[in-house]
Amino acid sequence: MLHLNDVHVTFNPGTATEVRALRGIDLQVSSGDFVTVIGSNGAGKSTLLSAIVGTARPDRGTIRLGDRDVTAWNACRRASEVGRVFQDPRLGTCGSLSIEENLALAARRGKRRSFSAALSGSRQRASFSEKLAPLGLGLEARLSTPIGLLSGGQRQAVSLLMATLLPMKILVLDEHTAALDPAVAARVLQLSKEIAENDGLTVLMVTHSMGDALAFGSRTIMMDRGIVALDLSSEDRSKLDVPALLALFGKAVGRTVDSDQMLLSR
Amino acid sequence: MRILRAIFAATLLAASATAASSQDKPKIGLTYIVEHPAIDAVRDGILEGLAKAGYKDGETASIVIRSAQGNMATQAQIANEFSGLDLDLAIAISTPSAQALKNALKDEPLLFAAVTDPVGAGLIASMAQPGGNVTGTSDRQSFEPTLQLIRKMLPEAKRIGVIFNPGEANSVSQVEALKAAVVPYGMEVVDGPAAQSTLVGDAARSLVGRVDAILLPTDSTVVSVVESIVTVGKKARLPVFASDTGSAERGALAALGFNYFDMGKMTAEMAVKILKGENPDAIPAAVPAGQDIYLNLPSAKAMGVDIPHDLRSAAKKVIE
Amino acid sequence: MSLFAFAGALETGFLFSLVALGVYLSFRVLAFPDLTVDGSFPLGAAVAVAAIVKGVDPFVATAGAAAAGAFAGSVTAFLSVRLRIMNLLAGILTMVALFSINLRIMGRPNLPLQGNDSVFDRFGRLGDFGLWNNVILLGLVAVGAKLLVDWFLRTEIGLALRASGENPAMAEAQGVNNSAMVYLGIAISNALVALAGALFAQAQGVADVSMGVGTIVTGLAALIIGEALFRRKTVFLGTLGCIAGGLAYRLFVAATLSLGFIQAQDLNLVTAVIVAAAVVMSQSQRLGIAKGLLSRLFSPRIGDRANAASE
Repeated sequence: MLHLNDVHVTFNPGTATEVRALRGIDLQVSSGDFVTVIGSNGAGKSTLLSAIVGTARPDRGTIRLGDRDVTAWNACRRASEVGRVFQDPRLGTCGSLSIEENLALAARRGKRRSFSAALSGSRQRASFSEKLAPLGLGLEARLSTPIGLLSGGQRQAVSLLMATLLPMKILVLDEHTAALDPAVAARVLQLSKEIAENDGLTVLMVTHSMGDALAFGSRTIMMDRGIVALDLSSEDRSKLDVPALLALFGKAVGRTVDSDQMLLSR
Repeated sequence: MRILRAIFAATLLAASATAASSQDKPKIGLTYIVEHPAIDAVRDGILEGLAKAGYKDGETASIVIRSAQGNMATQAQIANEFSGLDLDLAIAISTPSAQALKNALKDEPLLFAAVTDPVGAGLIASMAQPGGNVTGTSDRQSFEPTLQLIRKMLPEAKRIGVIFNPGEANSVSQVEALKAAVVPYGMEVVDGPAAQSTLVGDAARSLVGRVDAILLPTDSTVVSVVESIVTVGKKARLPVFASDTGSAERGALAALGFNYFDMGKMTAEMAVKILKGENPDAIPAAVPAGQDIYLNLPSAKAMGVDIPHDLRSAAKKVIE
Repeated sequence: MSLFAFAGALETGFLFSLVALGVYLSFRVLAFPDLTVDGSFPLGAAVAVAAIVKGVDPFVATAGAAAAGAFAGSVTAFLSVRLRIMNLLAGILTMVALFSINLRIMGRPNLPLQGNDSVFDRFGRLGDFGLWNNVILLGLVAVGAKLLVDWFLRTEIGLALRASGENPAMAEAQGVNNSAMVYLGIAISNALVALAGALFAQAQGVADVSMGVGTIVTGLAALIIGEALFRRKTVFLGTLGCIAGGLAYRLFVAATLSLGFIQAQDLNLVTAVIVAAAVVMSQSQRLGIAKGLLSRLFSPRIGDRANAASE
């Protein structure tokens, strides 16, 4: 489904502040895979996501989604194929718009927008309620509430729903629980898992928590300094706990890494 | 990029070099703050007066003409340019132009035209004895003739509304002069200030019901949108009088104004004297003697005023 | 205040509510501080009057003026989006350029209608509305524009525009072309302002090249006063606030001019005080007016609603 071929991303090339964020990423993600991505500070996790989503243009290499070469596509165009949930709950939804307006916006992702009314009536509202009910947050009764009044966790849940409203090739979760408190984070993670399973989605989830990385999904990759250092299938992972994972990682990159470093990484 | 810069510099150099023309013909510099019907008329009067006296650009004299395009910074630049040109005479139409030139030219002869208050503007010591290298013509109005006109047409009028831009010094001094002038007529002045042209209509409307007539001084903010006042005057049957003849053509029922072309010719006469060697100090600053009466009959009808026949025949121009 | 002045205030109030609607679209919805309006207001006036004087039907001329405004807005959008010039500066550049363009269009610094029919004259033939002729027509136009903007912001494209202005990153992730939204929004905004200019010039009988100075201030004042009147931030109330704010502002101007002892030069100071008061009032929703005022005076916190003007 997702094929990254020798992708390099460099910021400020040729200047004193040049940063080679991705230094040759080769990554294949099959349809239906749920991949967790973890790595130390500056490893390039967010740049990897930016490259997939379209906000960072690779200076070398290709990116394919399905059978389309999307390397030259900008973020707006890629939105038709990529669903995205941001880390900041306030970024994933529009605070002044109501829940149904946000959902209506998401319902036209990748499609041509016209002058017909965005909120098209009871049929649409019923469909939104249907989608909101399983979240278990009672949001289906508050469709016209401005989203800015909801808590971070609720907004993130709606973001998740918005990202998965329409079919897409890949869902990108960018540390989407990092800004939530633990109980809410757990709930949102659970939701993510359920939605991914129900819809058979291909998911790439960046997380700062090694525990979550091992517990969720079917595959884990660890990044270090712009390359993929470790790629663990679910079989490999099932035998590991966090310390073992760290040891494995240290061996792969040739230096010791402790969990604090990982935790503080972005 | 470097070549472009070199070409640019060369062009600048060439342009400034051509400004220094031949030495034997008298060199006159003429500048004004902006293109404007009154100012244009003064300029044309000056040029014609000079030509008639034998000073024609290109043939018997060299006359450099510069408009500041309404921009004070440009006017200052022009003043600097003139100070470097070694002129025999510099002429400035309007107060800001005259002030800019006086600043830049120090001791060279300077003639101003259409400056309402030359003493107040710091150009001369007094009208009779200018005292220095500056003299010229002024369009300072005496409101006497206008008030007589109003009294003749509206015998009962007591309150006169004045619309003006309080940010324009010339206008403020005109309004003050008017307030003194109305006293013997048993009239009083009601202020209708408008700081920008979009407020002029509002000012006119605010005077409806509070005054018997509106009188407009020569104020560029107000004159630029005089139609907005005329519209109100016609709707409310409130007579509108102006101090520049152009406004009568645009709808004011009557205007008593200077003939700016004649003022230009008067200025040219002074110019000729200076070019022939007289000291500006010896030429008193002057205001043209007469004013022209313009009448607009359709407006008069709409504003409910009957214009007596003797006035019609005394008028320079009657607009039907 | 005479009936005359009152009718005049309603007239210009409706006119400037069109400007406020335009400023609402650019400043509030798109979060794009657009100074083009000081140029597009006289542009509308110049195009309309120049066309009418040449014999064009006044309604067609007015529509043409709005189209010219839309074009001016697209230029600003181009400067901002394509040439990546900061949005404030882009608007200023277009505004400055328009001064020369307006002079060219009119051929002279001011251009009177010279007895040609304006839209108001045509409207007046439908019936004898007397003093209220202009007020009625302008009221219809203002309300019509408000409803049109309401409808537009509720369409799929309008929703995308609102998202683009509030949260461009999220909008992009939902497949919204932010650049296209800027073009569309700024064009519509300036079309409204140019329409206002065209109607203003026809109402007063003359178009003048300097009549745009201070348009942005009037538009913002009307917008902010309207927001203080209607606290909730829905589209319907937002646009209603533009009309209410425009009327309130011009009524206030007329009232102070009628009083006589407050001069026009004081008007700007009084405008500033009124607008500041409106801003404070609209921001202290939960605390109540007095408390809000006091709390702001005694505990200024950096970062706490730091950039109030952008809210």
